[in-house]
Amino acid sequence: MNLSVTLGRMALKNPVVLASGTCGYGREIAPYLDLNTPGAITVKGLSLFPWEGNPPPRLFEVRAGLLNSIGLENKGVERFLQEDLPFLETLDTRIFVNIWGRTVEEYIEVARRLDAAERIDALELNVSCPNVERGGASFLSDPEILRELVGRVREATRKFLIVKLGPAKMQDWEVTVRILEKEGAEALSVTNSFPAMAIDVERMDFVFAMKSAGLSGPAIKPLALKMVYDLVGVTELPIIGMGGVMTAEDALEFLLVGARAVGVGTANLVAPSSAADILEGIKAYLLRKNMENVEDLIGKVR
Amino acid sequence: MSFARICRKERFGERFVCFELEERSIASRARPGQFVMVRPGLEVFDPLLPRPFAILSVNADRFSLLFEVVGKGTELLSHLEVGDTLEVLGPLGQGFSLDASSGILIAGGRGLVPLVFLARELKKRGIPFSFFLGVRERKDLALLRLIEDLPRVLWSCEEAVSGGFCGTVLDLVGKCLERALWQGAKIYACGPEGMLRELATVFPGKEEDIEVALEARMGCGFGVCLGCAIPRRGGGYWHVCSDGPVFRLSEVVL
Repeated sequence: MNLSVTLGRMALKNPVVLASGTCGYGREIAPYLDLNTPGAITVKGLSLFPWEGNPPPRLFEVRAGLLNSIGLENKGVERFLQEDLPFLETLDTRIFVNIWGRTVEEYIEVARRLDAAERIDALELNVSCPNVERGGASFLSDPEILRELVGRVREATRKFLIVKLGPAKMQDWEVTVRILEKEGAEALSVTNSFPAMAIDVERMDFVFAMKSAGLSGPAIKPLALKMVYDLVGVTELPIIGMGGVMTAEDALEFLLVGARAVGVGTANLVAPSSAADILEGIKAYLLRKNMENVEDLIGKVR
Repeated sequence: MSFARICRKERFGERFVCFELEERSIASRARPGQFVMVRPGLEVFDPLLPRPFAILSVNADRFSLLFEVVGKGTELLSHLEVGDTLEVLGPLGQGFSLDASSGILIAGGRGLVPLVFLARELKKRGIPFSFFLGVRERKDLALLRLIEDLPRVLWSCEEAVSGGFCGTVLDLVGKCLERALWQGAKIYACGPEGMLRELATVFPGKEEDIEVALEARMGCGFGVCLGCAIPRRGGGYWHVCSDGPVFRLSEVVL
């Protein structure tokens, strides 16, 4: 059985990718999941400086979903390189690193520092975070800024470059995708969490200090699946599909509509062994369907 | 994660459920103050997240949990019966320090759970301690069954009970303990946030020697989601699951 997949010049030994922000810097989840099992692990979003994140509450559970307002807390790129990269270097899997910045310059600096680390296989740009130079609007919401951001990060690194899209901008994907293709993105992660909200009716106030939060988990899976399906239709860029993947069946749905790999996110919080269970389930499915290559599933339902 | 069979189930009062679970690796490693993440089983995604519960006790290959039914997740768990299995992850977090010469244990309501485990460990080590338990309602006094074998147990209830102290647990502590009695002791507490905050007033100048076990809504329980942040004294945040759940009172802002 051949589980390997390719995303352009990036080969993965299997299509299961741990999604950013749900497996820490790797070491934290390692006692509960053999990190050599998934095809790739995505380190949580790193910024140029340590970032303390949002005040509590940061989580709120909704029906079959999770709202989070972590606020991108992370230890910063330097501490990651010193404290966590040595552990990751011992793994037999692809190392992706998610990055973000408050300005284009910050992204570039983070990308440069990571570019120097041989063992890192790919950078994943979070373009859904607020741009402080543009009054906090997301980098994804302005085509010109997106063009500048992706183009300049591309110049700063030779690493495989993934752009993680969020559903914030329910506009014509065509425009966004053409920019990303032209500026040198090599793959897309689809999708980040959905902007959402919860109200505490007793206190008559927002649950979260930042008012809105990101919704993830099974509640968003059908929405994310449609987004992946749509994007596969408008671009040749390989797509890592994600959003509420809890089971092998969920993962298979994303592959069947054309994702070339599948991100497992919130499921890691629910049960840290989820990615391994999902991979086992994909193998069992291939056996049952008498299929030899996982690649043969990709895009079978269009 | 592993699967643990419920080998005993007991109810305490109206709202508390105790499970004894068979799971050797957790039972053999657990320390007082640590917790486990629990979910009813595979493919249950609503509620989505596992629930964090402090460990009540360990006994050879088994460990026990006691939780209060407060919402959908705990309600669902409370319907499981002997023979059913739970999915559990643990033991997790940093427990209490055990280097005291004497201890004062102060529990508010379900906050007694990690302190029961601690009390048994102190007893085993021959460290003297007093155990204070406060409950809101008369029917919660059923919890006293968990500590009836311990020496020096004092309790309070906010509802009037004949023969009992009426008031909060800290009212009781204030009445029983003079400075000379607590000065050299380590204080261990778990309960509602207001109660924990008040400890600094009840034991002035003692914050360094007060260890509090905190409760938090958690995502993962093992330090990846960073969802259970609480303010750190001096700025920034702690994460209750991995930095705690036991903190010195002097380290946190409650």
